[in-house]
Formats: sequence, structure tokens, C-alpha cells
Amino acid sequence: MGLKMTQQIIIPEPDPIPLPAPYWLLKFLLVLTFILHIIAMNFALGGGIITGITDLIGRKKNSQFHLNLARSFSKMLPIATAFTITLGVAPLLFIQVLYGQYFYTASIILAWPWLSVILLLLIGYYGYYIYQFNFEKLQGVRAWIVLGSAVLFALIGLIYTNTLVLMLTPEKWAQKYFANPHGTNFNFDDPTVIPRYLHFLVASVSVAGLLVLIYGLVKLKSDESFGRWAVRYGGLWFVIGTVVQYATGIWFLLALKKDLMMIFMGGNGVATAVFGISVLLSLVSLILILLSFNAQNPRPLSIFGIVLLFLTIVGMAVMRDILRDAYLSDYFKPEQFEVQPQISVLIVFGIVFIAGLITVGYMLNKVIKAKPVTT
Amino acid sequence: MNYPFWDVPLIGGGILIGIVAILHVFVAHFAIGGGLYLALTERKAIKENDQKLINYLKKHSKFFLLVTVVFGALSGVGIWFTIGLVHPSATSTLIHSFVFGWAIEWVFFIVEISAILIYYATWDKLDPKTHNTIGWIYFAGAYLSLVIINGILSFMLTSGKWVDIPFTEPSKKFWVGFFNPSYFPSLFIRTGVALALAGLYSLITATRVEDEELRTKLVQYSGKWLVPAFILIPVAGIWYISIIPPLAREISMGGAPAVTVFAVLSIVFSLIIALFAWLGPIKTPKQTSFAFALGLLVIGFMVTAVTEWVREAVRKPYIIYNYMYSNAILKTQGDKINEIGALNFAKWVSVKEINEENVLKAGEEIFRVQCQSCHTIDGYNGIKKLISGWSENYIDFQLQHLDMLKGFMPPFYGTEQERKALAKWLYSLNEEKTK
Repeated sequence: MGLKMTQQIIIPEPDPIPLPAPYWLLKFLLVLTFILHIIAMNFALGGGIITGITDLIGRKKNSQFHLNLARSFSKMLPIATAFTITLGVAPLLFIQVLYGQYFYTASIILAWPWLSVILLLLIGYYGYYIYQFNFEKLQGVRAWIVLGSAVLFALIGLIYTNTLVLMLTPEKWAQKYFANPHGTNFNFDDPTVIPRYLHFLVASVSVAGLLVLIYGLVKLKSDESFGRWAVRYGGLWFVIGTVVQYATGIWFLLALKKDLMMIFMGGNGVATAVFGISVLLSLVSLILILLSFNAQNPRPLSIFGIVLLFLTIVGMAVMRDILRDAYLSDYFKPEQFEVQPQISVLIVFGIVFIAGLITVGYMLNKVIKAKPVTT
Repeated sequence: MNYPFWDVPLIGGGILIGIVAILHVFVAHFAIGGGLYLALTERKAIKENDQKLINYLKKHSKFFLLVTVVFGALSGVGIWFTIGLVHPSATSTLIHSFVFGWAIEWVFFIVEISAILIYYATWDKLDPKTHNTIGWIYFAGAYLSLVIINGILSFMLTSGKWVDIPFTEPSKKFWVGFFNPSYFPSLFIRTGVALALAGLYSLITATRVEDEELRTKLVQYSGKWLVPAFILIPVAGIWYISIIPPLAREISMGGAPAVTVFAVLSIVFSLIIALFAWLGPIKTPKQTSFAFALGLLVIGFMVTAVTEWVREAVRKPYIIYNYMYSNAILKTQGDKINEIGALNFAKWVSVKEINEENVLKAGEEIFRVQCQSCHTIDGYNGIKKLISGWSENYIDFQLQHLDMLKGFMPPFYGTEQERKALAKWLYSLNEEKTK
């Protein structure tokens, strides 16, 4: 009996309520909103790491450029955090719609770590505000406050990776749950957890580097030398991050089970193509950013590089989704969903969504007009 | 029974949800009412060309930002995390029934967050009128998010005709569930609460203003924000009580003593706030201190806590009325469970068939999947205390008539053998105690 138990695979029944929209639409919204969330998260987490380190360097070298950047970014961090949370609500919704039985089960097995995310986020978030509001007052300790917040956020990422990888491996649920039903498990015995996590962590530093670069581009107009410096400084974070990212990416790929790894190496045409194109795009992006360092006008090169990197992120998010379905291919059959479209609700959503975009656009327009240079 | 049960020691999952939910409700209603407070008061300041009042609002908006954007938003996500862990099936029902309701609410969140961040950051950058418009946009986004979430929350108690509409009429099913019988009274109550909390919270910042003239004026002004609540809440409250299921009304009015006590406390605390708001901020604003304001806010928190607790308690024996019981068993699944047995039906149990040796273990597993979502063993609503002194036969008798004897409990579902195993295990808790 005991031995049989440990090999048992238990998967909850999917919710009996039909989907209110076609599967592809929900899947599209899941991946789209995940991309938005992950970019904001990169700014919040990677931005915190870069800001803290920049602040430390600035104080040590007494460099006004470094300190100016840290001061400006102190205002950006809480905003990025607010959007990480709000934009995260949508993919969290759609994942529960499509993958509820996997998601809830995995999170229950890791209940306490999963719930602690809220507390870690609360502390880290207030840390960012303390950093912003007391930037001049705090001096020496402030960099450690922002770095402390970033560490808490990085910890949240680790918990997410633990849970979301467990979600993909139903084979392990029963064993973990019956051994400990108190929700104090982790998933570090899975060899993909660490490389997968690092792949996300390093990406956040890389992408936040690009935000510094964009900030530099904006500053070029009002303060040429500071702008130039920020373009290079941010670009350097991006370049180093991306190079490290190739290493963590390879590690992650090799850590996958062979049949999962192979889908990106010819086993699945679409997956292989998306993988190849994404890597290529990131490589071109890397070269463009490097070239922009010494270009007379860094703007066209770097903007092109940023666009390509955005496409890389899109490609990576698509790959992540393909990988999820490959993990679950024995259990998850999209064609089994019953669909009963709630047309009138979808129409209301469409109208509200467009009205929302217009409203946000209106407000941003007012802000930009009021002060052409963002700080 | 579909999902693994998360065993939260001593307090149980219900209390955990309660803690997070009460904190959230207390801040979220402020996020709505406080938005109106900012927009209206700014309009007044612009009209009267009162720079001092604008300066106060600048400070107040920082307080507002730190409380609502950080704690309000996060505790909201916190409830979602917690209910997903404690009541995954019910969470899944709410998610799946209202997918695009949630999506619409999400759009309002985006508008709300964007607006308040811009509002706070642009006091000195935008012309006053445009700045005020941003404030109104914030309030609109915040209130509309209430308009949405209220449909889903009130649905849980008054699911109304939703249950009877087939899934083949998906749009109708959505709207009937959303605009359920208690939608409007509930919306009016929550609107009243939002206005009252706007007043209570702004007293916190208003009583700390140094300029005496401005402070006196602001304290009185903020105190008056409580007045509409004391008209709106009783009227909508009576409407609400007249419309909820008879059993829920019974539970709150004597059927379950603890619930009744809390319901009475809610009214008593509210009256205390009314009295002291009248005597303090409205009649003697000059003498109203920060400590006094803090005291009022604390009582306001207690009203929120007991009221939310009652709102949750009266929903028993259901978590989603007439659809899903508190222990996540669907009403329609009862017969099947009686037929094939609870252990066979449940997914996450280590015993499937009962024999001589495993009968106690089986009883414990049945307790876990069928009772433990409300009862802990030794802690909150602990079963050991509740059955203390009962004989095994009496326990079994109770189990056969749970829904009759205790109206707020779901019936026991399972085979006779399973019921006997549960009774045996429960009785063994009694024996443990006497040993």
C-alpha cells in the first residue's frame, strides 16, 4: 500500500463550468498579459538591483551621474511595483481559468511559501517607498534598503518558480502532499527549478538595464553628457546580463527532461523556430546596443535593439507556454474544454478595455504635455 | 474533495481568510470613499481658492497612496491567494462563472492605479482643473471596481436563479448571477461604508493639521462624511436582510448565538461611532484630537471585522448558496457520494476501502475531506470540545441528521460504513481526553 501510494498520480477534475470564450482567446490573453506583467516585474526587480548597486558606486566614487540615476530610479521603483502587481492579476486569472486544477493543487502543497509572497511583497514595496521618500535623508543606509527590497522580490520569484514548476509535474503531487499536508513543502528536488529561476532573475537585470538606457535616451536632450553616460551604463548592464543569460538558458535547457528539451531542438517545428528566432533576435539586439555605445547618435541603433529585445521577450513567453503544455501533454487536452461563449459579457469587456486604454492614454498625454521631460 | 486539503493548525483556514479579508475590506472601502473625498475636497479648494486646503490634500494624498495603493491592492491579492489555498473549489467556481467580470474589474484596477499614481505625482505639475479631473478618474475607476466585485461577492449568498439556468445559456447565466437579489442593497451598504471610512481616515490626517483654523474646519468637514452612511446603511441594511435567504436571516437573528452576538455588536459599535462622531468632530471640532480620531477608526475597524464575520457566517451551510456546501461538495453530487462512498469520491485520501484495521484512519480521512474546512480538531471551532461527552451512538445519530439538527451544517454524505467509521474516530477523540 505504502509503495503504491508514492507512485500514485492524482489530478483534480477540471471545473465543470464551461469556458466563457474560445480556448485560443483565453490562451492569447494569458500569454499577452503575462508578457506585460513580466516586463513590469523586470523593471521592479532588476531596477531595484541596479539602483541599489548604482547608489553604492555613486557614494563610493562620489559620482553625480550614478547618484542622479539612483535618485531618478527611486521614483520609478514603486510605480513599477504597482504595475507588476496589477498587471500580474490578469495572468493569474487566466491561469486559473485554463489550468486551475494544476495551479491550485501545486500552490496548496506549497501553501505557506506561496502565501508568504504577499508579506514579502508588502515589506519590499514599502522598502521602495522608504527609499524614494527619504532619499536625501537616509544617505548611507538607503542603498541597503533598496537592495533589501530587491532581495525580497527575488525571493518571491524563487517561490513562484518552485510552485509553477510543481504545477507542471503532477507525478510528484501525491507523494509530496501525503508526506506533508501542512503546506510547508518546497520543490528544490526538481533539477530545473534553479536554472529556470536564474533565467528569470538574470533577465530582470538585463531588461532593467534597457530601462536605464531608455532613460539615458530621454536625458540626451536636456543633459547630453549625463544622457550619454546613462545610455552606456544601462547598455552595459544589458550586455553583461544577456551574456550571463545565455549561460543560464543553456543550463535550463539541459536540465529539462530529454523529451522536453528536444521539442526546442527539432522535435516540434514551431517550438524550434520560435527558439531559434528568439535567440537570434537577442543576439542582434546585443550587437545593436553595443554599437550604439560609440555611435554619434545612439538613438536609432538602440531603439532598434530595444524593439528586437521586446520581440525576444515575446518569443520567450511563447516558448514558456509551449513548454508548459508539453510538460502537461499527458493530462491537459484543450479540445476537451466545453465552450459556452458569454457574448454580451465579452462585448462589455471589449468596450471597457478600449475605454480604459483611452482613459489611461488621456492621463499620460496630460502628464507628458505638462512636463516634456520625464523624471 | 477534488483538491488536497491544506491543514492549517489551530486557527483553520477560515480564520486565515477572515484576517486577510477584514484588513482588506477596511482599506479597500477607504480606497473608494477616499477617492471621492480627494476629488470633491480638491474641487472645493479650487472653488474657494484655498491654498492651505490644497496643501493639506497633498499630504493626505500621500497617506492615501501609501495605505490604499500598497496595502489595499496587496491585501486584495492576498485574499485571492488565501481563498485559492483554503477553498480552491469555490475559488474556481467564482473564477469560472465570472471570467470576464474579473477581466473587466482588472481594467478598472489599471485605470485606478494609473490615476492615483499620476494624481499624487502631479500636484505641482498639472493645472488645478486637469489635476482634479485625474482625481475624478481615480474615483470612477475605484467605484466601478466596487460595482464589479460587489456582483461576485453578493452572488455567493444570494445566487438566486443562477443555479437553475443551464450552461447552454451562458450570457443569461452570467448576468443573473451578477445582478443577483442582494446586488443593490449590498452595493448601497458598501457605498455607505466607503463614505464613512473616507471620513474616519481623513480625521486621522485632519486632526494633525497645525493651523488651528484649518484644522477645525477640516475636522468638522471630515466628520460630516459619516452622515450619509448613517442614513444609507440602515435603510439598505433592512432591505438586505429582507432579501437574503430565510435560513441566513434566522442564523443572524438568534439561530446561532455567536453570530447573533456579532450582529448586535456590529450595530452597537456603529451607534457608538455615530454618537461620538456627532459629539466630537461635528459639534466640537476644535477639541477633537488625533487620539480621538484614532479611537473612532479603531471602532470602525471593529465594525468591519464583526460585520464581515457575520456576512461569512450566515452563508452556511453553503459557500456558494444552493450550489456548493462549505466543504466544497456540490449540492448535485450528494447522491453520487452516498452511492459510491466519500472515500471513493474524494481524490486526496490515503484510505479507499474500510476494513477492521484502518477504520480509525478512514474516519480521520473522512473528517479531513468533509468536516475540516470548518472544524479544527483542537483549535478554532474545535470538534473535540463540541462532541465532548457524546457517546459513539449519539455521534452517529447526529451525523445522520446534521442538516436538520444544525441548520448551518451540510448533511453528511457517504455510505453507512463510512459514517460509522467517522463516528468511531470522533468518539476516539473523547476517549483520548479521558485517558
